Amino acid sequence: MALSFDYTVRETFSNLRRNPLMTMAAVLTVAVSLSLVGGALLLKQGVTRATLQWRGGVELSIFMKPDASEAQNTAVQTELSNLPQVRKVTYVNQDESFAEFQQVFSNDPATTEGITAADLPPSYRVVPKKAEFVEPIGSRFEETPGVYSVAYAKDTIDTLLKVTRIIQLAIYTMAGVLLISATLLILNTIQLAIFARRREIGVMKLVGATNWFIRIPFMLEGLVQGVVGGGVAALLVTLGRTFLQRNLESSSLQLIRQMLVSGREVAGTAIFLVVVGAAVGAIGSAVAVRRFLDV
Amino acid sequence: MIKLDRVTKSYKTSTVALRDCSVDIAKGEFVFLVGPSGSGKSTFLRLVTKEEPPDNGDIWVAGRNIGQMHSWKVPLLRRNIGCVFQDFRLLPNKTVAENVAFALQVIGRPKHVISSTVPQILDLVGLTQKAQNFPGELSGGEQQRVAVARAFVNRPLILLADEPTGNLDPTTTEGIMRLLDRINRTGTTVVMATHDVGIVDTMRRRVIELDHGVVIRDQARGVYGAAG
Repeated sequence: MALSFDYTVRETFSNLRRNPLMTMAAVLTVAVSLSLVGGALLLKQGVTRATLQWRGGVELSIFMKPDASEAQNTAVQTELSNLPQVRKVTYVNQDESFAEFQQVFSNDPATTEGITAADLPPSYRVVPKKAEFVEPIGSRFEETPGVYSVAYAKDTIDTLLKVTRIIQLAIYTMAGVLLISATLLILNTIQLAIFARRREIGVMKLVGATNWFIRIPFMLEGLVQGVVGGGVAALLVTLGRTFLQRNLESSSLQLIRQMLVSGREVAGTAIFLVVVGAAVGAIGSAVAVRRFLDV
Repeated sequence: MIKLDRVTKSYKTSTVALRDCSVDIAKGEFVFLVGPSGSGKSTFLRLVTKEEPPDNGDIWVAGRNIGQMHSWKVPLLRRNIGCVFQDFRLLPNKTVAENVAFALQVIGRPKHVISSTVPQILDLVGLTQKAQNFPGELSGGEQQRVAVARAFVNRPLILLADEPTGNLDPTTTEGIMRLLDRINRTGTTVVMATHDVGIVDTMRRRVIELDHGVVIRDQARGVYGAAG
């Protein structure tokens, strides 16, 4: 159909100008809702970041028998360094173990008394790539000759995994609910704006305008509103993050410092917000105008 | 031009708007649809523009069976039909010229065509002086003339008018009727639903009388009241 570019653009912008209040309402709704969504998403990224650091710090120790042979030691060492799930392996020899032992029990001389470096087992400190790998790695070595025992904090790891999963789920749910309510709010605002112009649509239908001819200026209008609203939300989220960063960087709480997200993550979220704003605006308008096209 | 073949239409409230209605209107005719309120006149017009589908029966407009027409072709059907209503249905935030031009814009007519056609049609309806006024600044009769101009600017084959003089005083009514008559003389088929006894009796055109959705009279050169 002869849908002239000139007509469409002129119609879109004159409509935006003609209904400044409705335009503002739509833009603000998009901005506020998407700011909340963006905030939730960044919070989620912060939590992921922090838990990654905690989980990355989880390790297990493989203690060798003090009398394990050189060959047995080498076998364990080689196997560990060939495992793809292992990020880092450190060998702690008897002297280092002893130093650590003395430090841990420094205010308990009764325990340290009479114990020498030769009594303590050397060990491999293994840092897996993911907390989930701790158990499978550990169980491989339990029966290996020369290994005295494998130590890992199974309960702690399980709890950690469970807690992070719950936190992530909660934030995902929150962002999802916010996104849905934002969409509904935007839809409602657009529908109000279109309701105010149902006469015009009626006349257009009457004189034989095609549905796409009627729909496209509305969709463009929604798109512009969505992009502007998404842009405002992106700006708010970026400013909010900068503000928090400035005030929390020096925080004594390690947990909070670990949660600070990088500039790249913020930029990604900002782009996501603008794209979602555009999509919700355009598709919302198309859905909202549908009702009035049905003649 | 317009043919209804045993058409029945009822609404959810179980009232029958048209019952087994057969009418054949030839090209270039001027037809009055008369009958009391609720006799089915408006339904008749809405079926012709495919704003509603019939329950039963076939409807032909300009040689096409519109019952089998795809919904995407409906806009093309409506470009052949101009519509005028009792309440004018003008856009209050557009000027007279813009209201008329709008009808051409939305069907994708190029600018130079619009800018040459609109003054011609405004001249035809006698509103050249008011081209830059808004509908709110015009009298009822002037507004209706704008509506007629908008309906006719596309030179449709058919002009449907639903009580176009219902809100107008007798003198103004006469002006509108002269305009419709003039349009009819260009070969456009005009179908007008009305209550106005005076118009029908003066014009002496074909009269189709509906009562409770049934055609009770179809008379060439008829009058409003019962045959006589």
